Amino acid sequence: MQPKAPHSRLRTIVRIGAPLLLIGLLSGCLLPPDPKTDAAKDVFNLYLLVLALAAIVFIGVEGFLLYAVFRYRRKPGDDVLPEQLHGNNTVEVIWTLIPTVIVFTLFGFSMITLGEVNAKADNPTTIHVDGFQWQWTFRYEDGPSITGTATDPPVLAVPVGEPVRLVLNALDVNHSFYVPEFLIKRDLIPVGENGTPNELEFTVSEEGTYSGQCAEFCGVAHADMTFSVEAMSRDAFEQFIASGGATPPPAEGDCSTTIQLAAVESIQFDTDSIEVPAGEDFCVEFTNNDIVPHDFGVVETQFNGDDVAPGESITYQVPAMEAGDYTFICTLHPTAMVGDLSVTE
Amino acid sequence: MATTTLEPRTAGYRRAWVLDWLTTVDHKKIGILYIVNSFLFFFAAGILALVVRSELAVPGMQFLDQDTYNQAFTMHGTIMLFLFIIPVLSGFGNYIVPLQLGAPDMAFPRINALSFWLLPLGGLLIFSGYLFGGAAAEGWTSYAPLSNRAEGVGTDLWIIGLALVGTASILGAVNFITTIFKMRAPGMTLFRMPIFVWTILVTATLILLATPVLTAGLIALFIDRNYGGSFFDPSVGGNPILWQHIFWFFGHPEVYIVILPGMGVVSEVLPVFSRKPLFGYKAFVFATIAIGLLSFSVWAHHMFTTGGALFLPFFSFMTALIGIPTGVKMFNWLGTLYRGKLVFSSAMLFALGFISMFLIGGISGVMLASPPIDFHVQDTYFVVAHLHYVFFGGSVFAVFAATYYWFPKMFGRKLNEPLGKIHFWIHFIGFNLAFFPMHELGLLGMPRRIADYADRPDWVILNFMSTVGAFMIAVSVIPFLINVIATFINGEPAGDDPWEGNTLEWATTSPPPPYNFDRLPPIHSERPLFFLTHGHGHAAERPDDLEEGAEEDAEHRKGVV
Ligand code: HEM
Ligand SMILES: [Cu+2]
Repeated sequence: MQPKAPHSRLRTIVRIGAPLLLIGLLSGCLLPPDPKTDAAKDVFNLYLLVLALAAIVFIGVEGFLLYAVFRYRRKPGDDVLPEQLHGNNTVEVIWTLIPTVIVFTLFGFSMITLGEVNAKADNPTTIHVDGFQWQWTFRYEDGPSITGTATDPPVLAVPVGEPVRLVLNALDVNHSFYVPEFLIKRDLIPVGENGTPNELEFTVSEEGTYSGQCAEFCGVAHADMTFSVEAMSRDAFEQFIASGGATPPPAEGDCSTTIQLAAVESIQFDTDSIEVPAGEDFCVEFTNNDIVPHDFGVVETQFNGDDVAPGESITYQVPAMEAGDYTFICTLHPTAMVGDLSVTE
Repeated sequence: MATTTLEPRTAGYRRAWVLDWLTTVDHKKIGILYIVNSFLFFFAAGILALVVRSELAVPGMQFLDQDTYNQAFTMHGTIMLFLFIIPVLSGFGNYIVPLQLGAPDMAFPRINALSFWLLPLGGLLIFSGYLFGGAAAEGWTSYAPLSNRAEGVGTDLWIIGLALVGTASILGAVNFITTIFKMRAPGMTLFRMPIFVWTILVTATLILLATPVLTAGLIALFIDRNYGGSFFDPSVGGNPILWQHIFWFFGHPEVYIVILPGMGVVSEVLPVFSRKPLFGYKAFVFATIAIGLLSFSVWAHHMFTTGGALFLPFFSFMTALIGIPTGVKMFNWLGTLYRGKLVFSSAMLFALGFISMFLIGGISGVMLASPPIDFHVQDTYFVVAHLHYVFFGGSVFAVFAATYYWFPKMFGRKLNEPLGKIHFWIHFIGFNLAFFPMHELGLLGMPRRIADYADRPDWVILNFMSTVGAFMIAVSVIPFLINVIATFINGEPAGDDPWEGNTLEWATTSPPPPYNFDRLPPIHSERPLFFLTHGHGHAAERPDDLEEGAEEDAEHRKGVV
């Protein structure tokens, strides 16, 4: 046995100070947001437990590493070989047990929390969430259907304190419904005709507005797929459904020029240039033959028509414009669906 | 009468310098080609990383549009993994494995050359998407059905390029496995092989089992895209989740393909600069094999949030299990340092950097194994932080450790130590500044792969820190490059064995002759050179060592081992 090295004061300070500092740093800046659903509270507690285990491992290993670096430096001119330790089966067994105990603890508690997160309620309020490139549609049973745009993200209204079930359907590619303050996400997978869509259940515990965003990369404008969840009282929720249920009736075509325009498969217009006369209203008879919602808008005048669900059509009446070159777009897909609109005398 | 003199072939034909490198089948030259080629791709992918980080420095779209951003991170990830980190480690394997085994070359020198030359070809094909209307932009995982529908040839070039690169690594794997089983010098039993060789052996096995699965998936995707197939497209009866299973069945072993050789490098460097043997050699070997085996049963932990019929507890449990052999390795490294006499060369600093950074990646990995926590942080910057602590904090640190450690053997000159230390410290600090804040960004809910993000004060400051760190990493490469150039011009001669190494590569000249060894020292343990330098007096400290060795010798002669 080698005699124990004398403790220097510096070392004592480092020994006590460093872990405290680290714990402070770790717990101060490695936390998820305050949980806002019942299940999220359990996840948060699980996370705290796991973070504590992680901190112990981190401090233990990094601490020993630092200690070794200072304690076992080779002194200049020291040519004596250290003892050639090849290993030791007893310690090998002990330090196989340490990570074993840690990971089994983690696994056990994770499974308990998983049960709580995946629990299903009896009579939840069901809302259909459709994800498509690159927006969301929230469809309420016996209520409105709300589709957002990149500049005007949609709001998902939910009653607070009651179980809510989302039916998650992807219309084109994978997406993921993610609300950080609920500490959960679930993917929207296009499952075809016979598949069962994913579901996600939660009970929001506090009124408020929580921002969310698509978390599964879904193409060009993935970053634009934001939305928010508004948790409100039962009364307010019912009012929301009642008032939002009425979508404005399609404008009646009342103009001398009518243009035919269609959206076709894989996020495209059927034409990339349109010509209309200047100085008078014109109509656009718009048909959506794609599998996701689209609309018609004019960039320069900020005309923004109502969304059209797949398979439906609508007639937009566009206010008179001066002669010149404009750009028309689908405001839901402003990068993929663009065309030239020339307004001539 | 005329007489014919027989000369070694290498002296027989003198080729032009360039032609010599283009046609070489010498494992050492091929190894260097691998390494140089990989570093070129590293710099290219690094520039793409800077592009990504610059765009993200502050919220709002600065100088890219969304599509170019998506191409940038897709190319960054793809090139870093498939054309930098895997090949660079194969490069060191190519150079070092035959030397460490006491072999004159790899088993199949020509296949070796082929598997190298497929790499630049594949890499250029992947990059060439930029010339034809845009590179692939679906992420390195290229999930279906997004990848089915993506337009443009960029994605097709990505598929073809990866299939070639995959073929290259399959060929390389066959070569390594054969070399390791068939080309060992007399006395070099399996349990006397250096740990680096062991990790390459397990890695090659993983490549051989996992990569063909990816290749098959890539071909299926190509058929879907170009010949009306419907493997993955749900609108015509395919299953998009199938792609994820195929991809991750390859993709998870891939993580170990990248990290195991890095662990091998560290296990070579630590003992030499601690002047002690690796603590628990056999435990380390078994832990490596265990990681390799387990890595095939955990793939779906990348798919926890896909819902459906996935049985989470199984995949969560298997993933947690991998923590155990990894923990054992960690302890063995610490045990190696314990009561050693540590010398802080640049190689040692990078090896210690590996241990301290890989630990963080390992811890966040175990956290991700817990499904409820994964539900929150999956596909956020927490995962980006995790994967960089493993790939960068782990493997890339190991690559630099290997570079400082083996450079003298490859070129006969030592890299400059003060410059090496400057490189290390800027690199280390920059790395943590760039990637530690990403943990918190992810916990706060910032998704990965977004070209722009919400203008929230907490996100903004963390992103800005990360961008500063990224540029520090870029700056740290400057002293490294200066170092390499200066050493070629006027480096300190290394001699055969500059570090008092343990393994056979140090028994020959630096650089070694084309046939590697004039003669080999006797091999009675995993540290033949240590015993050569320090004599068998030290072996007496481990009395069973020689007897055990003798037993193994006998078995070896009988052809058992
Ligand atoms: C200069 C150093 C590096 C920086 C600044 C950096 C930065 C980043 C960032 C910011 C992302 C996330 C992009 C996004 O999700 O939008 C990313 C992704 C990624 N990085 Fe790095 N990285 C660096 C080095 C490396 C290295 C050395 C490797 C591997 C050996 C690597 C592998 C990856 C992979 C696989 C992805 C995922 C790509 C994807 O999402 O498809 N990176 N990197
Ligand atoms: Cu999306």
